[in-house]
Parts: sequence; structure tokens; C-alpha cells
Amino acid sequence: MRIWAVALNTFKETIRNRILLNILFFAIGLILLSLVVGEWSMYQQVKVIKDFGLSAMSIFGLLIAVFIGIRLMVQELEQKTIYLIISKPIRRWEFVLGKYLGLSITLALNVLLMSLALWGASYLMEGYIDWSLTPAIILLYVEILLVVAFSMLFSSFMMPTVSAIATLMIFIVGHLSDFLMEFIALYPDKGYHWLLNAIYHVAPNLEKLNLKIAVVEDLPYDSSVLTFGLLYGFSYILILLIITAIVFERKDLK
Amino acid sequence: MADSVIQTVSLSKVYKGELEHKPVTALVDLNLEVQRGEVYAFLGPNGAGKSTTIKLLTRLIFPSTGTITIQGKDIRDRYALDRIGFMPEQPNLYGYLSGREFLDYVGAIFRMSRSVRKERAIELLQLVGLEKGGERAIRGYSRGMTQRLALAQALMNDPDLLILDEPMSNLDPIGRKDVRDIILNLKEEGKTIFFSSHILSDAEMIADRIGILNEGRLVQVGTMSKLVDKQIVSTEVTFEIAPEKLSSIIQKDLTPVQQENRVMVRLSDESQLSELLESVNQSGGKIISVIPQRKSLEEYFIAQLGRN
Ligand SMILES: Nc1ncnc2c1ncn2[C@@H]1O[C@H](COP(=O)(O)OP(=O)(O)OP(=O)(O)O)[C@@H](O)[C@H]1O
Ligand SMILES: [Mg+2]
Repeated sequence: MRIWAVALNTFKETIRNRILLNILFFAIGLILLSLVVGEWSMYQQVKVIKDFGLSAMSIFGLLIAVFIGIRLMVQELEQKTIYLIISKPIRRWEFVLGKYLGLSITLALNVLLMSLALWGASYLMEGYIDWSLTPAIILLYVEILLVVAFSMLFSSFMMPTVSAIATLMIFIVGHLSDFLMEFIALYPDKGYHWLLNAIYHVAPNLEKLNLKIAVVEDLPYDSSVLTFGLLYGFSYILILLIITAIVFERKDLK
Repeated sequence: MADSVIQTVSLSKVYKGELEHKPVTALVDLNLEVQRGEVYAFLGPNGAGKSTTIKLLTRLIFPSTGTITIQGKDIRDRYALDRIGFMPEQPNLYGYLSGREFLDYVGAIFRMSRSVRKERAIELLQLVGLEKGGERAIRGYSRGMTQRLALAQALMNDPDLLILDEPMSNLDPIGRKDVRDIILNLKEEGKTIFFSSHILSDAEMIADRIGILNEGRLVQVGTMSKLVDKQIVSTEVTFEIAPEKLSSIIQKDLTPVQQENRVMVRLSDESQLSELLESVNQSGGKIISVIPQRKSLEEYFIAQLGRN
């Protein structure tokens, strides 16, 4: 219940945040704009819209993670609003988890609204709602949750700007993970491989959460991809939350 | 001691230096003991370590050495802070919430039921004089209003012990009086209040006991009455007497100030008083006035700090 209280408050905080609203309106606007872009591309209009829409959701998810996820912790710490909560009989990990849950709810709402825009756009083009996008959207949500978990971890011990850059790096490296492996395999025995290897193993492989191409191109994919993605994403998130909680547990809130 | 509500043993805090900063020793070997039901004023100049102590007591930061016991429980016990109310210095509250929403949130953290929270919030907003601001977003509050709301949230769980960091700063004279009255009422209800301040008159009016902290060390602890007694530094006696008789009366180290037949002496030792009064009478003189000279707590405080 304490966790829930924190989550609810965090939810209020995030939905009353103008930045979030702006990002959301912009994203939905862009998805709807893709209808126009689709017109130009003559054929394969529908694919363009879906591809564009899902990419926009991924990018805006990242933006939300960076702007909201980091602010969430930084504000508590810098403005010291956290003093009034942590000094009460609540455990620090409960606070961390509550914050994360609250943000997850806001993000779910965001993804849902963006999805509605996308489904709406595809309905206008095809005359029916393309439910086959759903697995891709679910994994996209998991990706956003994962990136947000990183931003929360970073901002619990780093400066806001550094946290933002680090989160961005995770996102980029996360999408280049397969490429990184290929690179290592292709050019063995380079002195800096230990570093690439370390990055490869620490950064999540966000491509494992990417079903975009499959659903857009209507390619066959194994349903285990979804199951695996969920499992992979949530285990990663769990580990990140545990680390954040540990960092927090020992932190002097001075 | 069984009835101590706050007890610290050899409590020290060193802030680790970050980047180019050197470590700062903020608190040294503090042995603090606050009794149930008392109002304890924790005084000291800026940077003395008051807030550091309070953050240690509320588990916001961790001791470098030493132990803390709150209401018989080790501070590391999760429930040690169950029955306390805390107000930090210069509190910042969530700007996007209204005053009433914030109290509700705090109540939820204490696992109070929805209806109890609601009732308590209304009651407390009234107590701190925020009936009108309760529905407004905290973002638009003045410093003083924020301070009042912070005090209200500290009372949400009807705590037995209140830990208040500079509760009266940021308030206008009426606000200060309101807070003093609230503290005195809470004391009546049997609650223990530990508050910090660098404003002595605040302490003078409401504290039972004061502790003076300087440069991280507790330099003086005393009951208010004891400190006030110590404040009488001299007694000024004025009397009229025939000038030729003066020498028989004035002995030893006294240095009289004489104006025709009116004489004023300052006694640093009270025991000399009765002797003097008697001899003035016997020599046919007339006592005009006997005035104890008090040092203000302010002066006392400065003297204490100077000595260390
Ligand atoms: N986060 C911190 N990092 C390093 N040093 C600190 C930190 N916080 C406080 N200090 C130092 O610890 C000492 C005590 O500070 P503290 O805030 O406890 O004083 P205070 O008695 O509350 O003063 P004030 O009346 O100004 O509120 C000061 O020398 C201060 O510079
Ligand atoms: Mg202070």
C-alpha cells in the first residue's frame, strides 16, 4: 500500500507535467501526419505509416524516458521533497519501486494513446484495424520500460545531464548490439575488444524487443519471440530496479 | 534511561568529500538525550551541525560512528520512525499537489485509511491556518504557507515525538507566535518536541531544556531555569548615605560610583547583598534600589560559543 501511494503520487506528478503532454501531442501529431507522408509514397502507403508510427513511438518513448524518468529522481533529490517521504516508515526500495510503477502507468497510458493514433491511421488506410501490430507495440512498451529503468538508475547517483547522455548511449548501443557482436567476430584480437565485450554484455539487446519489421512487412515470426522478449525485458528491469534500490539504500540524502 | 525518547551515543558524521571537496566533519561525538514530554531546543549558529543531527535522527543520512535510539528502538529498525513527525529546514513540497492532496499522500504512507486521512487533513489545515489554501496547488504557496503545511504534515500521524528543523524561520511575527502556540499545545498533550533554531528568543519562550551546539560539538546542555539562574551576573545596589560613612560600608573589591550622597555598587556575588543592605541600614543610609543584572540568553549564548 505504501508502494501504491508512491506510485499514485508519481502518476499524478507525471500526468500533470507539461513536458509529457507536449511530447505526447507531438508524437500523436506525427503519427497522424504520416497519413500525408503515406500519400506521397504511392504504393506501400500502409507499410510506411506503420513503420513510421512504430518508429515514432520508440523515439518518443526514449524522449519520455530521458526527460521524465530522470527528472523524476533528480527533482526529488535536488528539491529535497524526498526528505518528507523517506523519513517516514517506508523502506527506500519501496519508494524506488513506487516511483517506477507510477511512471510505468503513465507510460502505458502514453503508449496506448499513441497506439490508438496509429491504429486509427491504419484504419483510415485499410478500412480495418490491424491488430497484428499489437505484439510489436507490447514489446515497444517493454523497451521503453527498460530504458526508463536505466534512466532511473543513472539519475539516482549521477548528474542529470550525465544521466541523460548515459541513457541515450544505452538506447543507441542497445539497438546496435547485434552489430557490435558481428564486429567483434569479424575483427578478432583487437586490443579494445574487452571494452566492446563489456558493453555488449552490460547493455541490453534492444533488438530482441523489436518486432517492428516483422509486423510491418507481415513476415512470419515465432510466437516465442514475444514470450522471450517479455521475459528478457522484465528480468533486465528487475535487475536494474534491484541495483537502483541498493544504490538508494546506502545513499546519504544530504 | 527508560524515559529518553531520543538518545545518541558518540554520534559523529563526516561528509565524504566529493570530487575536489575535502571531507567535512559536521558532528563530533554527540551524546544527546531528550526526555519524554519535554521541549528541547537545539541551538547553534549556522553550520553548527543542527541539520546534520536532525537528518541522522530521521534516517536521511547515516552516522559515521555512533548509535541512535528513538523511542527505545534502534534507528535502523524500520518502525523506529513510526511515531515521529518531522519537518525539515526550508521544506520543499510537491508543487503539483494541493495542500490537501499532499496531506493525503503523507497519510497513505502511514497507512491511514482514506476516511481518517480526509478528516485529519481538514483538521490540520485548520490548525496551521491554511483552511483557505488547502485546495490550491502548493506551487503557488508563499514560503510561510509552505512552512505551515510542512508542520501540518509532521502532525499527520499524531506523533509522540516531533523533530522540527528551524520551525520558525520564514515566518512573520504572527506565524512565529502561531507555531509557538502549536508547540506548547502539543507539549500539553504530552508530546516530546525537539527543535532546532538559531533564534534564542524562540527557545527562551517555549523550551524546557536547551542544548548548544557549536562546530559539531555539544558545548552546553541545561534546563532553562538553570541557564536563566546563571544569567544573573551581578546585582546593582543604589543607596543614599552620608559621604563620610561610606568607607565603613564599602569593603574589599567593591568599586562604588558616587554622586554626592547617592552611591551605586555592583555586587558580583549575591552573598554580599544581605551584608551590604544591613550595614547601609545601620549607618543610617537609605536603600534606593536593588536590581539584579541579567545577561540575555543571547549574550550567554555568545559567551558560551566564545569560550569554546
Ligand atoms: N552535504 C554536505 N556535504 C558536505 N558538507 C556538508 C553537507 N551538509 C552540511 N555540511 C557541512 O556540515 C556542517 C554542518 O552543517 P549543518 O547543515 O548541519 O548546519 P546547521 O547547524 O544546520 O546550520 P544552519 O543554521 O545554517 O542550518 C557545515 O560545516 C556544513 O558546511
Ligand atoms: Mg540547518
